[in-house]
Amino acid sequence: MFVPCGDSVPDLAGFTFLMPAVSVGNVGQLAIDLIISTLNMCKIGYFYTDCLVPMVGNNPYATAEENSTELSINAEVYSLPSKKLVALQLRSIFIKYKSKPFCEKLLSWVKSSNCAKVIVLSSSHSYHRNDLQLRSTPFRYLLTPFLQKTVQNKIKSLNWEEMEKSPCIPEVDDSEFCIRIPGGGITKTLYDEGCSKEIPMVVLLKFVSEGDNIPDALGLVEYLNEWLQIIKPCLQCDDPTASALQWKMPSSWRLLFGSGLPPALF
Amino acid sequence: MNSGVWEEVGCAKLWNEWCRTTDTVHLSPTDAFCVFYHLKSNPSVLLCQCSCYVAEDQQYQWLDKVFGSCPRKNMQVTVLTCRHVTDYKTAESTSSLHSPFLKALKTENFKEPPCCSLLEQPNIVHDLPAAVLSYCQVWKIPAILYLCYTDVMKLDLITVGAFKPVLSSRSLKGLVKNIPQSTEILKKLMTTNEIQSNIYT
Repeated sequence: MFVPCGDSVPDLAGFTFLMPAVSVGNVGQLAIDLIISTLNMCKIGYFYTDCLVPMVGNNPYATAEENSTELSINAEVYSLPSKKLVALQLRSIFIKYKSKPFCEKLLSWVKSSNCAKVIVLSSSHSYHRNDLQLRSTPFRYLLTPFLQKTVQNKIKSLNWEEMEKSPCIPEVDDSEFCIRIPGGGITKTLYDEGCSKEIPMVVLLKFVSEGDNIPDALGLVEYLNEWLQIIKPCLQCDDPTASALQWKMPSSWRLLFGSGLPPALF
Repeated sequence: MNSGVWEEVGCAKLWNEWCRTTDTVHLSPTDAFCVFYHLKSNPSVLLCQCSCYVAEDQQYQWLDKVFGSCPRKNMQVTVLTCRHVTDYKTAESTSSLHSPFLKALKTENFKEPPCCSLLEQPNIVHDLPAAVLSYCQVWKIPAILYLCYTDVMKLDLITVGAFKPVLSSRSLKGLVKNIPQSTEILKKLMTTNEIQSNIYT
């Protein structure tokens, strides 16, 4: 359930709801971290649930001593009212059998909050790609039928690749075709739940492999930004090799691959 | 607990794969209990001794049963726990750290200064302590977690001694007498444990 930080429940009517799926390489979650950190979004509440493994830590977006001591939990909601954006960040994995109930509870809340649309950032195993997918862009999108026509047309004008259907049972020759997102975690469940609850939803995903997934997250946010234009390109960068868009990595991304090494190793 | 008279007021029994028994009906206190005590001289002070592992799919229900019946107003929670020092992420190598050392995490409504430095990012806490702290943060209950990072796998005097600063904190100092003699008292408690666990005599 959503529990606000302050005394009153914030009004999210007309907002765009961004969220990650806990998926291969944690790309969706890294992308949401980049968005929250770059836009300096404010925490507005918690999504308190028994569906995710509990975890706590200090503020992952701390920029100074003063704001480094705020406690963060496993599911928190941030907003940027000036751009009508609200973002949910998930920081742990689902407890067994709880992923579907989570999707149902979350989308019920999103629907009752009258959000304009939901955008799910996700990823899928790159080794599951067929020959055509191997030769094309690694980014894909999926839309539920309930998106506004203007949004559908805008996405179509970007010439993006829609996620292809694949055989439901790969080993069977005459198997029916359906949307499959291997390694996507709750992505498919969210998409199906979005269809059944008539929620305007867009899924954006990238085909990735596990490893250092920071470049994949940067790719995914830039893909999102082509459409939403949440940050404008920096036209006066001194370094010609730097990305034209200034995405700010949060302080919690330090030591992603463990502590420092003992000098005796060398 | 050595400093006052504590009376047992309840327990939470649970079983999971980490328990050392397969008999789920006749659970003994050392197997699968969280025992609750209150201080006889001040029954509003409660203490929970958790001697079993509360699995991730039991934590929410545990919180609901334990905190569900407590009034949230004017409650303050202190959690004490340990982790192995290899869990601690730092830019230096963990072999250069002087363990045991204490770190703290507190909820927004906890206003007292902690007895040690706060746990720096990107370190996080899991399991029951995280579940308790999350509950307290969401429902605006003042709470603090003191986490001792140690390099030993079983209880020893040095690791327990790392918690001494906590005994002098504003919330706990009223509960602990004879702080200068605490090392002696701890030694007595520890020796009993060591004799029991020595399998080589």
